[in-house]
Amino acid sequence: MLSFFKQKKNRSNPQQPKEEIYAHKQKKNRSDPQQPKEEIYAQKSSVMIDFSLSKNLEDIKRITGNSPDIVIRKVKIGDQAKTDAAVLFVKGLVDSRAVDEFFIESIMKSNHLQEKRTPEDLMGLITDEVIPLGQAQSMRNQEEIVDSLMAGNTLILIDGIDEVLTAGTQGGEKRAIQEPTTHISIRGSKEGFTETNETNIAMVRRIIKSPDLWVESMTIGQVTKTDVSIMYLKGVAKEDIVQEVRTRLNRIDIDGILESGYVEQLIEDQTMTPFPTIDNTERPDMVAANLLEGRIAILINGTPFVLLVPALFVGFFQTIEDYSSRVDIANGLRFLRVLAFFISLVGPALYVAATTFHQEMIPTQLVFIIAAQREAVPFPAVVEALIMELTFEILREAGLRLPKAIGSTVSIVGALVIGQAAVQAGIVSPAMVIVVSVTAIASFATPAYGMAISARLIRFAFIISAATFGFFGLILAFFLMIVHLCGLRSFGVPYMSPFAPFSPSDFKETFFRRPLWAMNERPRMAVGKNVTRQGENQKPQPPLSREMIMTDQKEGDTHES
Amino acid sequence: MSAYQLFTLILLFELGSTLVLPLASEAKQDAWLAILIAMAGGFCLFFMYYGLYHYYPDLPLTEYVQILLGSVLGKGLAFCYVLYFVYGAAAILRAFGEMLVTIAYPATPLFVINALFILVIVYMVYKGIEVIARTSEVLFVAMCLLLLSGFLLLIISGTIHLENVKPVLEEGLSPVIKTAFTGTLYFPFGQIIVFAMIFPYIKERKKVKRTGFLAIGMSGLILALVAAGNISVLGLDLASRAPFPFLASIQSIEVAGFLERLDIYFILFAMIGGFFKISIFFYAAVMGASHLFQVKHPSRLAYPMGIVVLLVSMAIASSYTEYIQEVRIMLLYVYMPFQVIIPVLLLIIAFFKNRKKVI
Repeated sequence: MLSFFKQKKNRSNPQQPKEEIYAHKQKKNRSDPQQPKEEIYAQKSSVMIDFSLSKNLEDIKRITGNSPDIVIRKVKIGDQAKTDAAVLFVKGLVDSRAVDEFFIESIMKSNHLQEKRTPEDLMGLITDEVIPLGQAQSMRNQEEIVDSLMAGNTLILIDGIDEVLTAGTQGGEKRAIQEPTTHISIRGSKEGFTETNETNIAMVRRIIKSPDLWVESMTIGQVTKTDVSIMYLKGVAKEDIVQEVRTRLNRIDIDGILESGYVEQLIEDQTMTPFPTIDNTERPDMVAANLLEGRIAILINGTPFVLLVPALFVGFFQTIEDYSSRVDIANGLRFLRVLAFFISLVGPALYVAATTFHQEMIPTQLVFIIAAQREAVPFPAVVEALIMELTFEILREAGLRLPKAIGSTVSIVGALVIGQAAVQAGIVSPAMVIVVSVTAIASFATPAYGMAISARLIRFAFIISAATFGFFGLILAFFLMIVHLCGLRSFGVPYMSPFAPFSPSDFKETFFRRPLWAMNERPRMAVGKNVTRQGENQKPQPPLSREMIMTDQKEGDTHES
Repeated sequence: MSAYQLFTLILLFELGSTLVLPLASEAKQDAWLAILIAMAGGFCLFFMYYGLYHYYPDLPLTEYVQILLGSVLGKGLAFCYVLYFVYGAAAILRAFGEMLVTIAYPATPLFVINALFILVIVYMVYKGIEVIARTSEVLFVAMCLLLLSGFLLLIISGTIHLENVKPVLEEGLSPVIKTAFTGTLYFPFGQIIVFAMIFPYIKERKKVKRTGFLAIGMSGLILALVAAGNISVLGLDLASRAPFPFLASIQSIEVAGFLERLDIYFILFAMIGGFFKISIFFYAAVMGASHLFQVKHPSRLAYPMGIVVLLVSMAIASSYTEYIQEVRIMLLYVYMPFQVIIPVLLLIIAFFKNRKKVI
């Protein structure tokens, strides 16, 4: 939508530079979305906490529906234990050891609290001396207090004070750091993100130990109140894009964010596209690498998948391992991936077009073989292709969510159906089986799942267009796809860059990569001011050339004898 | 739009239909020479269009015509230019439809092929000049790879016989020059006039001149090379009689008994080139019409005008032979005035108008 708006504007008055329109659009957005949200909070904050402890407790019970997992531990403090107080927390959300030791125990045993004091003094005393925890603050707003309780904090209420002390005791059961399941690491860190934001942020910080690594947090979701954090390298990331991310996240007004995919769908540039315009990863080292290139990470509590923006088309064919392995091999692998993507897009379509319309283009001997195989097959090539592709997709989908024990059964049955049996029954030709299986394998070679799955969907469109108009239809469909790709944007950055618009400085970093020692500059697409990546002359060299021993060398200069 | 995007657009535009159709075939084995001479003429024409752009860098052709000639006359002429652009798009669409029907889809109705082609073009034009330019960058790379590998395969398969191009200038220079200035200059080089509608969108204004010359020179060289290649592969007789000489040359490729009948090469060439040639004509027509009739959102005109182009492409001629005959007539009586005579007059008027201002 954004890009469309821009283009239209561009067309009507070509003299106006693009940046100006962009800035104008941003300015409009910046003031808009934040206002309604603040208004909502302003309305809510009308209810303040009461002086009476019993009333406060009743209120909280009422608001939370008397849920049994909310623990209210009443204690007596002060001179001769005359003052009533209560400690509130949600079972399971808090670190119970911390609550027991630092709250209940210290309040009960503290000598200071036994002295004769006013309730106000007691509050200050608890904050300053009794509770040895960080993140303690006092609150008065009932809504905020309940939110804080639900976020896993512990509350202390004292009779006679219209203030509540909350202290951060978030804890409870968490998944430990494990190896990522979707982005397998061949060489590199084996750590994968967990579901907790703090852990994830810390994991990235452990890699990038720079004060320039800035994190901004916000809460999204009126009901789920999910913590969302933006992470970027100050000075490296483009300020415009950071602001755009902020604006788009602030605009979100939804009841629940359950996964990063929710956020992704609400902030992407164009929704009507099968191609992902936002990348995601489970690996902290990949996030770190992207941050160093000026991208922005969006971490969402409750999911190990971290979003990375802006994402470009070529980025989906790169893996973090490319930079750890040798240049020539990494480049070869990248070419292979692009080739595989291409095959997974047009493989069956090419076969259908060639056998249906353009038999003359197939070498003679091959066409005889294919014709002999197809003689007994009762369907046209396109039906054959669709049957096989559908069967394969069903198998893949079925195998995806099955328990492992049944999964292997499915794959055995599937192999029989797709391969041997279908051919023997004379329903499909062996050549088609080869084409479909090569395509299927190729579709798994794309490192990014989002990109691979889009290729699967588009493949069907290609098959149908090839079946109706042969190569002409296929080429037209391909044009359509390229036009569509060229029209996409990811956070204002053209999706097909650095190919289109062509950028010579970034082009070195696409389907091939330069040796690490030559990558002196960061890709310009998302990078702000700080472009330099490394110092000059990083190429490792032997101390002296050993290729040809010069006569004027002193003895002992070379180790060869 | 960057200068590089302009370069790829001009190059694809120039190569568009000319790579496919026989070019300067009247000059016989000196066709390549005729193309080079026409290219020199093309430089002059481009310089002229650039001169007009130089006076009005923010306005497209259909706008500054109204400044130069006054509102009524200017609007009339602008409307004529819009018609010319529509005709240009339709004529090339027809040529591509006919070509595809002839070489690959004898049983498919021409209308269906044209309709599908224009549908994709409308989709692209609807998205605007930025998307057209970016797409051209992507497909330009594909075109270059195709051309390079095509030439390489021709050389490897050993079908090039340079003696076919000899003798140079058998009948003197005059038939060559005549061919250049009655045909090749207006098609394809004169058609650069369409870019007078696109120049205002280019950001790097200082580079427009250099980029234009570079692109025209490059496309002229490629076309001359292809023309010479065709004759040297096919021989003069076959090359001048074949409806699509480049297809015939490509079909002669045979490498290792495996790489043969590479018709797909030809279809790809034709479609990439034709795609952009029609798109640019069509884009110019849409923009011109929207300026002229003050339509706020030019993209809204894309679909209706797409239908117009489609219908015109069908109504132009009743058969391919009639079409070829018609194009010959159009070349002299429509293309020449629109591409040469009117721009010259406009440039003279612009010169005097702007000189007054300075004094």
